[in-house]
Amino acid sequence: MIAPEAAGLKLSLRPPYRPQALSISLNHAGIALLAALGVLGIVVYVIKLITAWGDRAEWAYPTVVLMFILSTATAAPLIAYASRMAKGYWALPLRRVAALYAVPSLLSFVLLIPIMASLPPLDGRSTLWFEFRAGAPFLTDALALAILLLTGMALLWFSAVPDLAGPPSRVRAMGRWQRLLYLNWAGTARQWKVLRAANLALGAFYLMGYAFVHMLLTTDLGQSLLPGWRSGIFPVYSAVTGIQAGIAITLLTAALMRRFSPEAGRFIGDEQAAALGKILVAATLMWFYFFWSDFLLIWYARLPSEVAAMQVTVAITYILPFALTGVLMFALPLALLIFNRVRQSLSLISGVSAMIVVGLLFDRIRFFVAPMANPSPFGHAMTELPAPYWPNALDVLFVIGFIGLMIAVFVYAASRIPVLNGWEMRQGAMLRKERTFMKTHVYVIGKPD
Amino acid sequence: MAMQSQAKRELLALYEEPDQAADAVERLHGAGFEDNDIEILSSTPYPEGAFGEGHTKHRLFAFPFAGAACGMAVGIAWIVGAQVSLPIITGGKPVVAVPAIIQILYEGTLLGAVLFTVLGVLFESRLPDGVGLYDDRISEGYIGISVMARERRLPDAQIALEEASPIDLLSKEGSLMHAPGTT
Repeated sequence: MIAPEAAGLKLSLRPPYRPQALSISLNHAGIALLAALGVLGIVVYVIKLITAWGDRAEWAYPTVVLMFILSTATAAPLIAYASRMAKGYWALPLRRVAALYAVPSLLSFVLLIPIMASLPPLDGRSTLWFEFRAGAPFLTDALALAILLLTGMALLWFSAVPDLAGPPSRVRAMGRWQRLLYLNWAGTARQWKVLRAANLALGAFYLMGYAFVHMLLTTDLGQSLLPGWRSGIFPVYSAVTGIQAGIAITLLTAALMRRFSPEAGRFIGDEQAAALGKILVAATLMWFYFFWSDFLLIWYARLPSEVAAMQVTVAITYILPFALTGVLMFALPLALLIFNRVRQSLSLISGVSAMIVVGLLFDRIRFFVAPMANPSPFGHAMTELPAPYWPNALDVLFVIGFIGLMIAVFVYAASRIPVLNGWEMRQGAMLRKERTFMKTHVYVIGKPD
Repeated sequence: MAMQSQAKRELLALYEEPDQAADAVERLHGAGFEDNDIEILSSTPYPEGAFGEGHTKHRLFAFPFAGAACGMAVGIAWIVGAQVSLPIITGGKPVVAVPAIIQILYEGTLLGAVLFTVLGVLFESRLPDGVGLYDDRISEGYIGISVMARERRLPDAQIALEEASPIDLLSKEGSLMHAPGTT
């Protein structure tokens, strides 16, 4: 049995344990590096805006970063929702960490605008929107992403209010709008109940929005720009591998929290690794299932236009990123995660998680660079296979800088909002006790809701 | 004078232990107070019914449905607007095909549901009024039991709350257990 960290079971209710935000300083080498990367990300984004507005090929690697963010940071809050829904107490120290990724997810909207502005007209190419032209795809996609981001922020904020509001006298002294923002928090039984219900309802909407955004963007930024690429499985593949990477980035963050945050670190341990590790194995197997389902259909049907598209993303043009993806997202993680020792150790599983996150970047390169850089997206089939579009120096800086910016924004958010969900952890401590059972010890867990 | 006796006043008792708070709720029930008159305040969420209180009703789940209906209506208007403003028939096909319609309706419905849920949380949190009496010791881990009672029933409420051994008992005028100026 993997025991929870002892500190999590002994939380004080009076005075109530109140988690703190991360304490960060630019004097720390890691934070300084992140800040520098963040600045680099902003600078290269502005350079791209000025020099490459409307040039679709120039936005190919930013599209990779967009889909990377949507598959890591944007997927992570789903863990908070899923563990609340399934009443998984093991996830209590991770829920806020996962939900905080809603903040860096906002960067995806900043990327989406210039990318959508560079898309060619819908006429003459395959599209989800058929003849519908009233705002599609720009307005429809931007609105869908905005709904998802709004839901993520609402989930984060509502769950953070009890930790942030402070005593009622402080809330009462606030201005009208600030009080509104803090839900006029007093801790009444009704407020607690509404908060729990809101977390579940918004979590469900977040999941619905996540799947929808992946469907729209994988099609509008991928399939509809590469003639012959027709896959009903790819949007699901994108969403599921996003969940795989979302779990990986949460585990990676948890390992870093344990290493660098003494306060949060005492609650995070192998219990979280063991529980999330099982889901990560399932998600890793799903990678192969969805890849193979997609591949086999096209292999068997042998339609020349579809085979050509598969040659671009898998077999010929982007074979190197595909091979790296296969190794880093499936083969190596599976080979390692089947061992209990790896799966049940936060240190070891964080190494596997790092592999998966890097593999995801190559995965998004093989899928989104070719469509975005394709000079002739019209028609139903490619006349010849395009040459690979490798990144130039600015693209490399963009990828490094913007992903650095994503991490920097997360760290900044974690320095403003407590990285642990204090009220849920206190409730968890109240409802989870270690008891002697015959000659062993067991955990008795109350799940009242 | 009759009006004054009909007006409700609030008392707030603070307890160290959850069991004492549960005892207070039981005594209030015993004294004839309804669940609607009693409010429990805590810095940590306790399972519903832990203090013997009744089921807390809220209408949050109605908000997403109302929002979804409104959002779907917006989606329908969007689709109809597209059809009306661009009535070009290509090869006998409708301007707006069914799959595109479904996507727009899904998007509108989700948008409405999310927005109304957020509004519902604000509404159901009893904004802008909030609760009446409060005490900062509740955020330090003490449990508050508040009761609304008519003037003539205030002594009954006070007795019920005091019998459960509170550390303090407050009315709008201040503490009923300590001398003014002390805590």
